[in-house]
Parts: sequence; C-alpha cells; structure tokens
Amino acid sequence: MEGFLTAWLGAVPVYMTPLLLAATGLILCERVGILNLGSEGMMAFGAVAGAVTVLSGGAPWLGLAAGLAAGVALAVPFWLAVVVFRANHILAGLGVVAIGLGAAATLGRDHAHKPFAGLGKLDLAPLDAIPLVGPFLFRQDAIAYLAVAIALAASVVLSRSMTGLRLRAIGEDPATADTAGIDVPATQIAVVTIGCALVGLAGAYLSVVGSKVYVDGMVAGRGWVAIALVVFARWSPARAILGALIFGAAEALIPRLQVVGAEVPVYILSMLPYVVTILALVAVAILDPARQGEPRFLGRAYLRQDR
Amino acid sequence: MPEDHARSAPAARAPAAPDSAAPASAGTAPALAMVAVSKAFGGKTVLDAVDFALAPGEVHALLGENGAGKSTLMNILTGIYAADSGRIEIDGAPVAIRGPSDALRLGIGMVHQHFRLVGTFTGLENIRLAAGGREGVPVGAALGERVEAIAAQTGLEAPLGVPVARLSVAERQRIEILKALALGARLLVLDEPTAVLTDDEAERLLALVRRLAADGLPIVLITHKLREVMQAADRVSTLRQGRLVMAARPVAEVDPDGLARAMTGDLAGAPAIRQARPAPGAAILGLAGLHVGGDGRVGVEAVDLAVRAGTIVGIAGVGGNGQQPLAEAIVGLRPVAAGAIRLDGDDLAGASVRARRDRGLRYIPADRAAFALADGLTVKDNLAAGDVGAGRTGRVMVPSGRLARLAAERIAAYAIAGASPERPVRLLSGGNAQKVVLARELDAEARLVIAHSPTRGLDVAACRYVHARLVEAADRGAAVLLISEDLEEIMALADEIHVMSRGRLATTPDGRPDRTAIGAMMLGHA
Amino acid sequence: MLDGVVLERRQGVGRGRQAAVFAGSIALGLALSAGVLVAAGVPAGALFDEIVVQVFFTASGLAQTITMATPMVLLGLSAALALKHRFWNIGIEGQMILGAVAATAVAVGGVGGAGMRPAMMLIAAALAGLAWIAVPLVLKAVFEVSEVVVTLLLSSIAFLGLQHLLFGPMGDPARNFPVSPVIDEVARLPLFGFGDVHAGLVVALAAALAVAVLVDRSRPGFFGRFVGDNPSAARALGFPVVATTALFVLLSGALAGLAGGLVIAGTEHRLSQYVALHATFSGIVVAVLARYSALGCVVAAFFVAGVYVAGSTLKVFYGLPEGVILLVQGVVLLTLIGGQFLALFRVHREARPAPAPALPASTERAA
Repeated sequence: MEGFLTAWLGAVPVYMTPLLLAATGLILCERVGILNLGSEGMMAFGAVAGAVTVLSGGAPWLGLAAGLAAGVALAVPFWLAVVVFRANHILAGLGVVAIGLGAAATLGRDHAHKPFAGLGKLDLAPLDAIPLVGPFLFRQDAIAYLAVAIALAASVVLSRSMTGLRLRAIGEDPATADTAGIDVPATQIAVVTIGCALVGLAGAYLSVVGSKVYVDGMVAGRGWVAIALVVFARWSPARAILGALIFGAAEALIPRLQVVGAEVPVYILSMLPYVVTILALVAVAILDPARQGEPRFLGRAYLRQDR
Repeated sequence: MPEDHARSAPAARAPAAPDSAAPASAGTAPALAMVAVSKAFGGKTVLDAVDFALAPGEVHALLGENGAGKSTLMNILTGIYAADSGRIEIDGAPVAIRGPSDALRLGIGMVHQHFRLVGTFTGLENIRLAAGGREGVPVGAALGERVEAIAAQTGLEAPLGVPVARLSVAERQRIEILKALALGARLLVLDEPTAVLTDDEAERLLALVRRLAADGLPIVLITHKLREVMQAADRVSTLRQGRLVMAARPVAEVDPDGLARAMTGDLAGAPAIRQARPAPGAAILGLAGLHVGGDGRVGVEAVDLAVRAGTIVGIAGVGGNGQQPLAEAIVGLRPVAAGAIRLDGDDLAGASVRARRDRGLRYIPADRAAFALADGLTVKDNLAAGDVGAGRTGRVMVPSGRLARLAAERIAAYAIAGASPERPVRLLSGGNAQKVVLARELDAEARLVIAHSPTRGLDVAACRYVHARLVEAADRGAAVLLISEDLEEIMALADEIHVMSRGRLATTPDGRPDRTAIGAMMLGHA
Repeated sequence: MLDGVVLERRQGVGRGRQAAVFAGSIALGLALSAGVLVAAGVPAGALFDEIVVQVFFTASGLAQTITMATPMVLLGLSAALALKHRFWNIGIEGQMILGAVAATAVAVGGVGGAGMRPAMMLIAAALAGLAWIAVPLVLKAVFEVSEVVVTLLLSSIAFLGLQHLLFGPMGDPARNFPVSPVIDEVARLPLFGFGDVHAGLVVALAAALAVAVLVDRSRPGFFGRFVGDNPSAARALGFPVVATTALFVLLSGALAGLAGGLVIAGTEHRLSQYVALHATFSGIVVAVLARYSALGCVVAAFFVAGVYVAGSTLKVFYGLPEGVILLVQGVVLLTLIGGQFLALFRVHREARPAPAPALPASTERAA
C-alpha cells in the first residue's frame, strides 16, 4: 500500500503542473475582467510549438520558451477581438480554441508520435528517499517548482501590491479604474498576454516535460479543466495550487489503478477528473453562493462612454 | 423656498489654502476658467460655447435640467471627454486635459453621482487606488495617516477598513470627498451630491460644503434643486439645452422663480395639483401587518395600508427605506415574511405575478431599464408584453399583425416620439421609454397600479405627462399606489400621504401631513 | 493607449451598413483563411477551383455539401436556440454523441417495427441529447453552476463514454478499428438519388421551419425574446422564465442529439469516434453566421458544410490535416464577431488638445 501511495504521490506533480500554470494564466486574465475560454487551443498550440522546437534540435528550455511564445501568439487575435473590438469573450475564446487546435494539428502533422528526450527531473538526492513524500516533493522537474513559485508570486502581487490593486480594480470596476488614471485596454492587453503565455507554457510542459512526445489531441480537455479550476480556486492563484493538486491527484490515479490491475475499464476511469471537476463546481456553488472573489466585471466589454 | 440665504460674499472670506495647494494669487485669476467650451455627440450639439469660471473659495452652483449639459461640461473638465473647441485655464494658466489622470494631476477633484468606488475594496484601498503612486501623494502607511488627518480636520468621518459595498450611501460619499482631498484636490466638483441622501444627511453635506469653501477650497455644486442653490451657493450658473442661460450670478441677486424659469424655459412651475378628489370607492389593495425581508437591507415592517378605487395613495420617503421590497412584495416578486396582501379582499399569498396581473395589478418599477423594458427588443414587443403574457392575443400563437396594430394605437395614444413599432426601445429617450411602460401598464384592465418613482430621470414635460396619466388612471377608477422620493410629486398628486422610514409607514390622522410633518416622519421622529 | 480614439455607440444601425460589415467580415475571414492554406502548401491558383467550383458547382461536390449540411443545420439551430436564451451550450458535441449512440443502439437492438426503425432512432437520438443537456440545465437552475464549464466537461465525458462503447460493448468484433457494426438496411434513411443526400434533409429543413415559427410567431417564443434580452423584466411581467429557458435549452440538446441520429441513420450507418467531431464549433459558427435566425441557419450550414467538403478535398490532394478546417472556422468566427464592432460603433479620433510641453506639477503651478 505504501508503495502504491508513494508512486501515486510522486506522479501527481506532472499532472498538477500544467493545470496550475494554465489556471494561474487564466486567473490573471480574469482578474482584469477578461474571460478566457481559449486555454484548450492555447495549450495545444504550446504543446506543438514545444515539441517542434525540441525535435528541431532545440534544448528543452527552448521548447518551453516556444510554448510561452505560442501563448503570446494566440493572445494577439484574442485581445484584438475582446479588448479592441469588444467582441463577446466566450465566442472569441472558442474561436481561439479552434485556431489553436487547428494550427496544432496542421503544424504537428509531421512531428507527431516522434519521442524526444525532453526535460528531465532534478536530482535532489538524498531528499527524495524520504518515505512516502520523498519523490512527491523532491523528485520533480524544475518547472513543477517554478509553477508553484509563479502561482505564489502571482497571488502575492494580486493581493498585496499596488500593481495587484490596480489590476483587480479593472476586473471589478473598470470605470473606476479608468478614473483612477489606469489605462484599462493597455493593461488588459498586457495582462492577457502574460496570462496566455503561461497557458502556452502549460501546453509545452505536456509535450516537453510530461509525455516527451507530441500526439494530436494530447491536451485532452485539460484546458477546460483549468477553466473550472479558476472557479474552484475562487480566482486566487494560491488556492489554485490546492485545486491543481486535487485534480492532478485524480488524474494521476488513473494509470496507477491500471498498474495495480483495478477492474475498471480505462475510458470510464478516464472520466474521473471531469466528474471530480463537476462535483467540485457543485460543491463550491453550494458552499459559497456569493461567488467570493469572482471579478464583478468578468466577461463584459468596457466602453468609457457607457459609464 | 427659504429666503434666508444672506451670507458673507466670497470676497469677504480670507482665502486660506488647503494643505497641499499653493495659495491662489489673491483673487485676481479665477481658480478655474472654462472658456467657450463646445461639444457635439454624433452631430448633436450638447454644449454650445459655454463659459464657466470658479473664483477661489466660492461655492458655484451649476444648475440645469437633466440633459442640459452639466455633466458633459464637468466630464470635459475631468478629462473623460475632450471638448471640440474652447479652452481651460487653472489659476490663469492654460492647461491641457487629455485624460482623467491629467485632471487629477491638476488638482481637479470630482465626486460623481455614481460613485467611483470599487465595491469590494475598502475605503483606504479605494483611496490608494486613486492615488496610484501619484507624484506628491504619499504611499503606504503615510497615505493612511494623511487620510486620517484630513478626516479629523474636516469632520469627514467614514469607516476606512471595510469594503465600501457594505457602507451607507452617505458614508461612501464621504469617502469620495476624502479621496479627492487626499489626492490634493484644489477644487471640488460635486455632481448632484444630495440626490442620494436623506434630508438630514443632505443638510450635513451642505454644511460641510460651506465649511470646505470657507477654508479656501472652491466647489462646483451641480444640482437641479433650487433650494440647495439658495442655501449653499455663492454664485449660480444655469445651463439649458447646452447653452448658458444665466452666467455666474450672485445668489443674493436671484430669486427662486427666476432660477426655475431660467432652468426650465417656459415649462417652469410645480406639477399640476390634482383638482377633483373623487369620493373613494371600495378598497382594492389592502396590506395588513405586512413584513417583507430586505435581503440584508431595510425590509418592510408591520405595514397596514388600504388603497381605494379612484384614489392615489402616496408613499414619500428617502430611497432605501423599504420601498423596493414593498413594491416587489405587492407585485409578487418577493416573498411575504408575515402579514397579508389583499386584492379585492382576497389574500394574495402564493399568487404568482401572472395571477396578480390577471386580476388587474400593474407595475411601473423605479428602474424601468432593469425591470420594465427589454431594450434590445422592438417597441411593438414591449408594448404588447402585457397582453401576450395574459394570453389576450392568443394562447399559443402571437399574431404579428395584431401586435403591430396594438403598437400603432398605443404609440398614437401616448404620443411616443421617435417610436415606430419595429424600432428597438433602446433608441428612445427616457421620457418616451417611460411612455412605452405607461401605455402598456395603464391599459383598460388596470385596477391597481403600483407606480414607483415613475418620473425619476425624466424632464419636466415628461414628468407632467406621467402625472396626467396617473391621475387619469385614478379618475377611471383604478387604485394607484405612488411610491416616490420626489416630495413635490407626492404632495401634488396624492389624496393620502404616508411616509416610509426604516421599513415602517407613518402618517397624520387626516392623512395629509404638511412638509414639516413629513420631514419629521422621514427621520422617524413622528 | 488608444488615447484620443473615441468610440461612439451608433444610434440605430442601418440594414445596409449591417450587410456591408457582415460581408466584409466574411471576406476578411476567408482571405485570412486562404492565406493560411497557401502557407500550408496549397497553390494559390488552385484555391478557387478546389473550393468554390468543386464544392458548390459540380454535381458530386454539391451533393456532398448538402449531405454534410444536413446535420449542420440542426447543430446551428441547437447553438442558436441556446445562445439566444442566455444559455451557453458549449457541449453540443456531447449531446450529438449521445444522440448517435442512442440511434445506433436502437438500430442494433432492433427496437420498433422495420418501417418505424429510422423514426424510432431519431426520437431516441433527440431524447438522448435532451437528457444530456438536462444535467447542466438543472445544475444551473438549482445550484447556479455556470453551464459554460459543465457543458464543456460533459462533452469530454461523452467522448470517453463513446470510446468505451466502441472499444467494448458496441464495437464491431470483426474489425480492428473502434467502430460499431454497420446498421441494417431497414434502419437507414432513404436516399434521394442525388449523391448521398438522404431524407434527413427533410427532417432538418422541417426542424428549421418549426424553430422559426416557434421563435418568431409563438407565445413561448415571445417570452423567450424577453428572457434573452432582459430576464428581470420578463420576471416582473409574470412571464414563465424558468419554463421558457428550460424549453429552449432542452430543445437545443434535442436538436444536437437529432443531428447525431441523422448522421447514423442517414450517412455513416455506423458509430465511430469521429461522429461528432468539432460539432460544437460548427454549430456555433453556423449560428453566429446566421445571426441566430433559424432559417438563416439553413443557408449558413450550407456554406460551413462547403468548408468541410473543401477541407476533405484539400486533405486528399494536398495532405492537409483536418485541423485546417477548424482553423478556418476559428478565423471566420473571430472576424465575424470582431466585425460586429464596426457595425455597432463609430470610431473617430478626437482633436485632443496638443500635449502641453510640460504639465506643471500641481505644487509648482501658482500663477
């Protein structure tokens, strides 16, 4: 039993990290009022960008950087649509998903199913020999630690700094932010760009660190789960760490159960993270009907003349 | 109107500087001058070469009807709009205001009618946000100390560590003023500051305005209440339809009637007082020991009331004292906690909105954009909504020809300007949109009309129109419950007047309290 | 940023302007898409020939396009009904999968007499789609859980369920691919003798007509307009808000399910993993193109189907992946919704006062 737990826990961060990176990126977008449904496409594009870069001889770090760049690239049509052209955020997000998935499939056609070395784990011996939690805490890749650091940093900036106050003001009440001399569209564009970069990085993590191969459709709904995670985390990156941990644990359980020969069919088992996500959303809705933390102006177009 | 507005002229006061600003140069240059400012929106002129000047240490009232251009003028001053032509000078030096941050840097402090406060932030966080690390404004703990100091010095008391959404309107307003002062405002613009306050709070605010001005802070007081002009201002400028019709006249030299004429043109005067008071018929609406929850705000407490056929019963009082829960409970949108609502003697407990409407209940809500109209839909659909809901146009299908005829009839009967059946309601002016609501709600089957602030935000002509139609409905035999913050309206129309305060109703034995009695009851003193 | 650029909401938008902006948006979307295709290796000269002529002006191309458009009309109606009534149904794919599974199960199980088989399949398909959308509807109505995420997640769950069935209970043991056995002749919709165009076309057109009448001419449709535009006003007027929303949302799911049934009974004749591929995107693109009008969905579905048929042509001749179709749809969707902006707003640059050489700080500026 302890072996099972150790192995399961040790596998959690690899599933948790992309969810956390994506959720942190999405929280940044939503905190400035931009509802970003594009994560599934951005992650796919990030995954292919990372894989293509590494397969073309780039270092794993370069692959991850390519993921960031892929997110930034898809951020452009998105902020053009929602910030500049005041388009509906949901429709624009879905458009970006289509572009991201389509571009990933197109670019990835010659690069799919070709394994590469990717980014390995850090060697923190002998710490990883600690019973039970050793591999979980100390046998991971650098990005897993970085993702937690980014989430914590984002949390501190949002809740403690003047910059965070200004960003949150845009998502809560852009007219007031505008009166306070904040350039609302420019700030939204900047933050959305950063947020989408993190989502792209999450995608690159899937291919460059996680699977070390690109397969069409490898994001497999994780972009959608990240969106749910934002709600679950009540728009706090620090709470998203906990949420990503729970969802990551659910996902990591699937191959573990198969290994130990559980009698549940694989596709039914694979539904687990999605079912957990829906149940979590219901639980959060019951426990916190006031939707604490949800930016009041989320998903709406701000126009100075309308105030 | 009070006539005792004699007070020292501004020149007689020593110009003392507020703490952050340099002293004004001995009254030679105005603190602020806006010269020949013009502005058009989509070809429509809203400001036509308007001049406005603010002397150091004066309270200058800017008077005008809704849509006269007051807000546009001040929005240009605060950098929200750019003027098409004209110039702005501060202390005699021309300035360029290219956005709100320029205005803030120049020391122009504005308190908007709709407060610019983030509801989930505390008072201090809001001030910090507005300060934004601006030059000359301290950051961190020093800002908190400065705000505390200003609060102590001016008597602007408000809780600074609580999310502002939880504060009263008056407290939020004080935070807005504190914010402007903490940011180093050298002049203050107050946009309709008393519109949201109780009489008592309004008195306190106007006293504060006098005090701040006496300390040397020039203040622009935007209002359409003559009484406030007479009470608190040194000089008054009046705008009508984008043009300056009265320029910077000392208040001592004007009389209220002249001001009213300047503001409204030929339409001046109080609303027509209802002449014939018919013998009351049977009680249509009866409230007995009614309690309604207020969702965290003031609800309804033990209210008894009867509204008889052919009468208008007025409920006066400052908004937020339970009027909205009362109206919603009668209409069927909010559950009753205890007591009964009776229509023709039948308890309405459990009756749906639909069932109540079928028995002749009609509703003119205070916020028509939110609760009465679907403004993206056509005039035709909005006019027909009552009939379609009741199934009078067919139980399953909606014959479009019949809807179009209905719309054409009602547009003609209510003289709804700018409305064709297929136009979206969004394109109508406030007055005409309200006429769409009236045309629908005051139909032949209307027996009980709940009219909540039916003239809010309307111009004088539209107000009179609404009043005439309500009187007409009562004369036709309907029972009308008029809930309004506009005392003039209640005094003119109602056969019986009650005052709502903290969820309770009060009145005098004859049901016709005078102004003084109403004032006392608003404060819960009667 | 954007300082001095002023947006003004237009008062009333003329039909001419609407049409021009709409056409312009589509043209821009197609031009961008053409650019993408050329970059992906399609010779520019072949584009017109491959897409426009092949898809719309040859008998076989036209038949393929109409066949492809048949379920797409229903997907567009499904999206339009939900979105019009403030319910973000982003799980059309899942509802379509449920519909396809139900139709296949009815066919394989031989439910109903031989003559009734296709009808039984379509009814089962519609009910299955309806049941799948009932989940987010109830979660939203009872717990106020956002339907955006739930419909998305339920699509993923439906897809996994489909894979489970194809690799297990419903798979064809005689084949290596995850597909169900081919359904009986009696379970198939009759063909019209024009390519693969089948009787489902009549079903789709009838559905569009019925939805148009329901939305534009019926009392529930009237209530729905108010619910879509201002639910609070609808409530204050005593309209049955919950029932109206439920009606249209359930109908949205049923139409998506029906689309799945049509694909099984009309074209594919067996269940596969790809039965509802990209159905959500297609439905939403059709609905947005049609501006949520039911009859408009028929026209829009025809054109979106054309994109799909062109895509498969390009796939065969130039080895482009299916993803390109998705890419084109995404680009067109973005240009369409972005273009709306130009119809709704007037943009002009205001003559702001020239930047003052040095704005004196407030403390230094005593006159």
